[in-house]
Amino acid sequence: MTVTGLIGTVCMFPLRVIIDTCVRLRIHPNILTFVGVVINVAAAWALALGKFVTAGVIMVIANIFDFIDGKVALELKAVSAFGGFWDSVIDRFSDISLFIGLIYLYSRMGRTDYVMVAALAMMFAIMTSYTRARAESIIPKCKVGFMERPERIVLFMIGAFTNRMAAVLWVMLVLSIFTVADRIILTWRELRNAEGVVV
Amino acid sequence: MKQVATLPARVLWNAFYWTYERASWQYDVMVIAILAFVWLTPPDWLNDPMASGSGPLGYVLEWIRR
Repeated sequence: MTVTGLIGTVCMFPLRVIIDTCVRLRIHPNILTFVGVVINVAAAWALALGKFVTAGVIMVIANIFDFIDGKVALELKAVSAFGGFWDSVIDRFSDISLFIGLIYLYSRMGRTDYVMVAALAMMFAIMTSYTRARAESIIPKCKVGFMERPERIVLFMIGAFTNRMAAVLWVMLVLSIFTVADRIILTWRELRNAEGVVV
Repeated sequence: MKQVATLPARVLWNAFYWTYERASWQYDVMVIAILAFVWLTPPDWLNDPMASGSGPLGYVLEWIRR
């Protein structure tokens, strides 16, 4: 087993208890998704105030909701097309809120350079999901690139807990640019190879 | 000879054009590289608005200079 696989397995134990509790209480997954975004806005507020450790703790709580909603939906047999759509839309709000929190903080400090880094990282984070969504309307699957939402969220937490948000933003920016480029390349290749499609 | 020349290029291309699954050994290597950058790079080098100091890498470089 790999190191990241082992970490995932260990984290799954407490999450299993929370999932089972939500299933027992029959909490609708769409409500869990919504609670997740509300808590994420609180994390963004803490980031905006420069309270990184508080923001990190709130992010952990928020992302438990983000993570378990799909699993609860499966176990309650409440999987629906709208649930998937709702989850994707709400995830974008959560992502953008965290970036806006940092943009507010850096602009208040008069740090235009990091306002730009955070804004560009936000742009490419949104483009990462947009390119996949748009690509998968014309090709079967477009799941390439490293920097997806779980990686972004874990990086936000690492940056918050260890006060290394600047380095984290640079990593997010560069790897999100690569991810968007990967998805464009894959879509171009797939369409070029498909018969009867002119690219 | 040709293989030696193309291997680094292939590694770089595979790191850029990422197709590996989570929890693969390639994913582990990427995570270690990212964490090394985040934790070892001195905040001063990045002009970090919220952190300062030279960080672990700065201490090591200073120690070597002495």
